[in-house]
Amino acid sequence: MEIKETDNGWQEGMAKSITFIVTKDCQLACKYCYLVGKNEKERMSWETAKAAIDYILDREHDEMFDTESVIFDFIGGEPFLEIELIDRICDYLKVQMFSRNHHWFNSYRFSFSTNGINYDSEPVQRFIGKNIGHLSIGITIDGTRRKHDLNRVWKHSNGEAERGSYDDVVRNIPLWLNQFPGSSTKVTISSADIPYICESVLHLYSLGIHEVNINCVFENVWNEGDDIAFEQQLMQLADTIIDGDLYRDYACSFFSEHIGKPLDPVNDNQNWCGAGRMLSIDSAGNFYPCTRFAQYSLRSKKAWMIGNIHDGIDKNRLRPFLTLDRLTQSPRECIDCEVASGCAWCQGENYDAADTPTIYQRATAICKMHKARVRANNYYWNKLYRKLELEGNREEYEKNKPARKPETC
Amino acid sequence: MIKYLIIQVDDTSVSYCHYPALTGKPRLISLDDLRAGILWAMKENVTVQFVYPSYRLPDEYHRVIESIDHADIVPAGCEDTGLLDKADVIVLDGMSRIASHTFRSNAAYVLRTSKEDLLTGRDAVAYLLDRVMRLNVVITDVETFTDDDTERYGKLLGSLAEAVAEQYAAGRNVQFNLLTDRLMLDRMNNCNAGWETIALAPDGRFYPCPAFYGDADKGYNIGDLHLGPDIKNPQLYRLDHAPICRRCDAWQCRRCTWLNCRLTLEVNTPGHQQCIMTHVERNASRRLLPLFPGTEIPEIGYLDPFDIAKN
Repeated sequence: MEIKETDNGWQEGMAKSITFIVTKDCQLACKYCYLVGKNEKERMSWETAKAAIDYILDREHDEMFDTESVIFDFIGGEPFLEIELIDRICDYLKVQMFSRNHHWFNSYRFSFSTNGINYDSEPVQRFIGKNIGHLSIGITIDGTRRKHDLNRVWKHSNGEAERGSYDDVVRNIPLWLNQFPGSSTKVTISSADIPYICESVLHLYSLGIHEVNINCVFENVWNEGDDIAFEQQLMQLADTIIDGDLYRDYACSFFSEHIGKPLDPVNDNQNWCGAGRMLSIDSAGNFYPCTRFAQYSLRSKKAWMIGNIHDGIDKNRLRPFLTLDRLTQSPRECIDCEVASGCAWCQGENYDAADTPTIYQRATAICKMHKARVRANNYYWNKLYRKLELEGNREEYEKNKPARKPETC
Repeated sequence: MIKYLIIQVDDTSVSYCHYPALTGKPRLISLDDLRAGILWAMKENVTVQFVYPSYRLPDEYHRVIESIDHADIVPAGCEDTGLLDKADVIVLDGMSRIASHTFRSNAAYVLRTSKEDLLTGRDAVAYLLDRVMRLNVVITDVETFTDDDTERYGKLLGSLAEAVAEQYAAGRNVQFNLLTDRLMLDRMNNCNAGWETIALAPDGRFYPCPAFYGDADKGYNIGDLHLGPDIKNPQLYRLDHAPICRRCDAWQCRRCTWLNCRLTLEVNTPGHQQCIMTHVERNASRRLLPLFPGTEIPEIGYLDPFDIAKN
């Protein structure tokens, strides 16, 4: 008796994540996008990319870069708008890692999160063919046409009618799943999306996507009653998944056995977010602890730069990230919360929403949505356990269920 | 809980700590703001310290200042010799000030110096230790301290420990912040700006300390005299919300929040340089343990507690 679990990703927790912000441009203007400073001008040059790579590979044994593995992440805007540059970067990385006998040559990935629009283009397909064994590509599709097109719309000028991007993405899903079987997609939920959650997850399953990772946006966008509507959607989804036996082959990250419990102040005090352990590089060659700390991601705070390709990394500016723990950044209501486990935060949003320029003030806008998720999640597992019990499968499930994996950002 | 109010009476008031004094034209705090600051301190039951510029203040300012019990922090080169004679703390801004100053044995002195001048100024510091009851040495360019300076700093403090020991042998129990403070403390005793101390600046606004007034354009003010102090995220100034410092036993460290902001961008996180220097001081203090029976400073295997905290 097996229940499909969500996949934590390649070398989760073992790999250094290095992000190239290759462009701040995108074909879409998604309404929930946290990138407030997108533009068509800031594109990474080859010289900047090369200097960043040389800086990183020159420091193989520095504690910043001595992880067993590496994930080179390409982000935008829409990264595939810069496929020629990305192809050159990846070629250079491979040649350099090989010729330097760098330990990452045996354990690297190129990772992409794309809107999927030009996934089938010749340059992108050529790149995929060349690197297929070392690629992770996620295509973002939000669910049904009406859910997807609610937020994921094309950039448009004044006077132009708003146009959704569903058709432009969904046509590439079969090709993507054929090239990357077992891939998951990421869905973002904002206030307006709540009525479409259940139908959207089921729709993604019907497209052949067996794993749907969803999260509510961390920003303060929630309205009165959203939590109740959210809970109802999740319970409806729970009923459909359990009654239709979908849990055997399909997973949805909203449902997890490990959320909704109190957290121990000593043993569960680690920071959830990986900011500071990652490195993000923008088109000007500036370094950030995570992309969310680059200026184009921030509404109300200054960028948190930790250096640049010329002067290197100022490790003092990483110290707050590397010593940050859950309790020190959490208000009392979070520390004492009876359902704290699984409640996530984004360090960048914490910083952006804080009353002072600090990463030590946890934003709590997501609180009521997490509590609603916990209620629906409890319902899901109680219902599923009972079903397994009645079918005589509970004991076998308990015996074989996978060990708990630590959740990270 | 706020216990101390530092009133910087003029834009050009002397710096008694790591931050540079403002340069430019004098600008006195208004008499109304001075009175209001004193009134606030009286009602809140906090101790007041005044920080003075080099020039003589108008008499009416002195009359207002004398309306409250207080301490005076005065530059060594102050034109107002009457004020200098009764100052509680006298600030020597650089080694060059030492030769021309007439020392008072009952005053506490602050010596502000660059790292390099200090590392090469052993005899000047020993000269001071022979003449003052308390000496605070403040390095004004902490950010330039490199790991290569660690050994030199350790050697300097080792040599100065001998000078302190000679003073004790002669019956003069001199206090020296870099060496004896750690031995006299049993817990952290930091500056605690923003937690136990705040400053009132010439613009009539409150700041965590005078250093932040110099960075006023960065939005560090924490209220004004009309509404009172309003410190956002006040917990971040407390020791229990400083992940590196709360584990640390370099109890003499100033834990300078202004330096923290400059080096790490967070008020509660010290930079590598500050940690290394204070641990060299902590370790050098161990040489004086025989003078402080019953005191223990355990041997430790790190100079930067960040190495422990990050794990």
